[in-house]
Amino acid sequence: MKRKATVNTIDWPAVHRRMKATSEVLEREFEPDPAALTAILQRRAEAIARAPTLEDSGELLEVVEFVLAHERYALESAYIREVCPLKTLTPLPCVPSFLFGVVNVHGQIVSVIDLKRFFGLPLTGLPDLNKVIILHDGAMAFGVLADQILGATTVPLASLQDALPTLTGIRAEYLKGIAPGRLIVLDGAALLRDPDLVVNEEVL
Amino acid sequence: MRFSIGAKLWAAFIPILLVIVLVGATAYQNTRKLVDTAQWVAHTHIVIGQLTDLLSALQDAETGQRGYLITGEDRYLEPYNAAGPKLDAAMRNLKALTADNPEQQRRLAVITPLSNAKLAELKETIDLRRGKGFEAARSVVVSDRGKKAMDEIRAITATMSDAENALLKTREEDAKASTQSAFVTIVAGFLVAAGLVVGAGAFLGRHIGRPLKDVTVAAEKIGGGDLSFDLAPTPRSDEIGTLTRTFVQMQDSLRAVASTTERVAAGDLSVQPTPLSDKDVLGNAVATMVDNLRTVAGVAERVAAGDLTVEPTPRSDKDMLGNAVVTMVQNLRAVAGVAERVAAGDLSLQPMPQSDKDILGNAVATMVQNLRAVAGIAERVAAGDLSVQPMPQSDKDMLGNAIATMVQNLRAMTREILNGINVLAGSAAEIQAGMTQIASGAQETATAIGETSSTAEEVKQTAMVSSQKAKSVSEAAQKVTQVSQTGRKAVDEVADGMQRIHDQMALIADSIVRLSEQTQAIGEIIATVNDLAEQSNLLAVNASIEAAKAGEHGKGFAVVAQEVKSLAEQSKQATVQVRQMLGEIQKATSGAVLATEQGGKAVESGLKQSSEAGDAIRVLTESITESAQSATQIAVSAQQQLAGMDQLALALDNIRVAGVQNIASAKQAETSAQDLHGLGQTLKDMLARYKL
Repeated sequence: MKRKATVNTIDWPAVHRRMKATSEVLEREFEPDPAALTAILQRRAEAIARAPTLEDSGELLEVVEFVLAHERYALESAYIREVCPLKTLTPLPCVPSFLFGVVNVHGQIVSVIDLKRFFGLPLTGLPDLNKVIILHDGAMAFGVLADQILGATTVPLASLQDALPTLTGIRAEYLKGIAPGRLIVLDGAALLRDPDLVVNEEVL
Repeated sequence: MRFSIGAKLWAAFIPILLVIVLVGATAYQNTRKLVDTAQWVAHTHIVIGQLTDLLSALQDAETGQRGYLITGEDRYLEPYNAAGPKLDAAMRNLKALTADNPEQQRRLAVITPLSNAKLAELKETIDLRRGKGFEAARSVVVSDRGKKAMDEIRAITATMSDAENALLKTREEDAKASTQSAFVTIVAGFLVAAGLVVGAGAFLGRHIGRPLKDVTVAAEKIGGGDLSFDLAPTPRSDEIGTLTRTFVQMQDSLRAVASTTERVAAGDLSVQPTPLSDKDVLGNAVATMVDNLRTVAGVAERVAAGDLTVEPTPRSDKDMLGNAVVTMVQNLRAVAGVAERVAAGDLSLQPMPQSDKDILGNAVATMVQNLRAVAGIAERVAAGDLSVQPMPQSDKDMLGNAIATMVQNLRAMTREILNGINVLAGSAAEIQAGMTQIASGAQETATAIGETSSTAEEVKQTAMVSSQKAKSVSEAAQKVTQVSQTGRKAVDEVADGMQRIHDQMALIADSIVRLSEQTQAIGEIIATVNDLAEQSNLLAVNASIEAAKAGEHGKGFAVVAQEVKSLAEQSKQATVQVRQMLGEIQKATSGAVLATEQGGKAVESGLKQSSEAGDAIRVLTESITESAQSATQIAVSAQQQLAGMDQLALALDNIRVAGVQNIASAKQAETSAQDLHGLGQTLKDMLARYKL
């Protein structure tokens, strides 16, 4: 019995030490010591100081990169008014299935299109579809659902390649090109101009 | 009553005398007053007579004057001339008679000038007639001077006469009142005197006559020998009181003598009559009588008590009682002498009774004869002849009956003794045979006892060893008891400690749960932060779009937007990391709670086990205590066993010695039985001498 007790004895001093260290670390998180602060600043300075590599390789295309059904897509920034989280979507009755509904963006009623359905992509997995990219060209404005917004970036026009053979069907019509890194750049102007997207249906 | 009889008589008669004196005095006073009144009445009548005389003298004078005036003849002057001296005499008498009355004197003083004036007028008229004729005189008369004076005189005399009559009347009334009061006094005095006489008679009769009569009746009764009445003692101090007390005293002394005599007559001589004095003849005679009777009684008492040494002396030849006592004492002495010799066993004498009626003497003679007969029987019995048949005089002849019973009993006893001796002789033979067997048995017993005692020695050795073992077991048990008690305490402490650990476990579990709850709060915060990062990312994207729209001018802004975006990315990654850590923490806390729960269960089971262990140790302690007690008892028993074995060995030794003695005794008993047999034979021979 006595022997067993010695074996199971908790090393309380060690525990106390660890607790103390943890609390000290916690306190340090909010007030980092000068060395760590310097390291962080150094890292940031280095990142900023790095020169852009493809600056002089021709014309650049400003795009907004986003994820849709686990694939990366991009749209030209020129046709994008803004991106915003999807809130208070109002579904519409008697519309094609790709027309998801309407949302209120800064007082303007904008229809929202689900490109997955529109492009006939497989509806497998659990998409987020909680972001809306508002497209516009002065005459037309609608929103496109996206799973995730990756951010704005630049793509050299020269690097764009033609569509892959795998890209078939309706997607090929709106494709502008494939940028390196399997980034599918969509043609915003084509989308805005497409009459298929205009619903002009009468319910009898 | 403090007064003597004389004083009482005086007290009764003096009031009567006083009344008589009072009545006499009143009568005398009244008579005196009547005589006075009569004198005064006469006096008044004299005064009135004198007044009438006075008036008549004046009238005479006037009558003479008128006659002269009318006639002128001198012979008519005679009444006139005679009136002068008459008037003077009357005046003188009146003055003398009314000397005691100033009122009357004053009136007389008024009358004197008036009468003088009248006389003067009369003389004038007479003179005028004589000198100048009738007419002159008539004019004087007509002038009414004289008539006026005469009227006044008449009025005054009438007044005086009235005054005297008034006086007379008052005096008569006085006399009448006095007579009335005298009459009342006499009658009242007579009645009072008569009442007093009757009262005195009653008082004397009651307070002197009646007691005297009582005393007289008492004296007559005492004279007739009757002392049964009670003469009431009286507190009176007068002669009658003394007489009554003397009679009471006499009655008491007579009663004392009578009661003494009565008690003496009833045989009680303890009385002590005390004569009142040397001259108390009756008392002295009674005292002497009592003394003499006591002397005789003393002699009789001593004789009755058996003392015949007294020498009573008769007072005289005529002292019948004394002589009879002397004779009685002499006869009793003679009988006593005979009785003494009989009592001394001498039955040879021949007592002679005084006469046929001498019961005592005859009884003594018969007693001597009977005693001789009894003595003869006793002699024959003493000689061994038990065939005699004593005949008792009667059922109440105790000696005769006793002798008869004795002879019968002796006969029966002798028969039984004979039978007993026969049995004795037989038994003695049997005893002899038995004793021989006993002696051989005792020899065998002694041998067996020798073997038994060696066995007892072995048992003793074994008992000693077992006693030592029991002692050591008892000591060991004591130690075990102590150890078990210590163990019990330890288990109790363990149980307490377990309980504390259990409590602490509960606290730990609580703390961990709270930690987990706080982790949840952190998760919520992290979610918020993640949301913010997402929004920042979108904002950065929007900023980049705007920067792109701005073209060349928006380049710098695009860089900043890129930077903001990367920050948002980092924040998001950080939140992911935090979320992972939170998950780990959650897992760790869950594990801790689980561990704590298991620990708690372990502690509970430990608690239960320790409690069971405590119970077990308690039961163990009790059994050990009982074992220790049993061990102690075993040790004690073993000790006692050892002592018992010692005693047993000793007893066996004693038995062995007693066995040896038994053998000797049996041999002696055998010899004695032989002797007993011989003795029975001898007794049989001895009893053969008695004739049954």
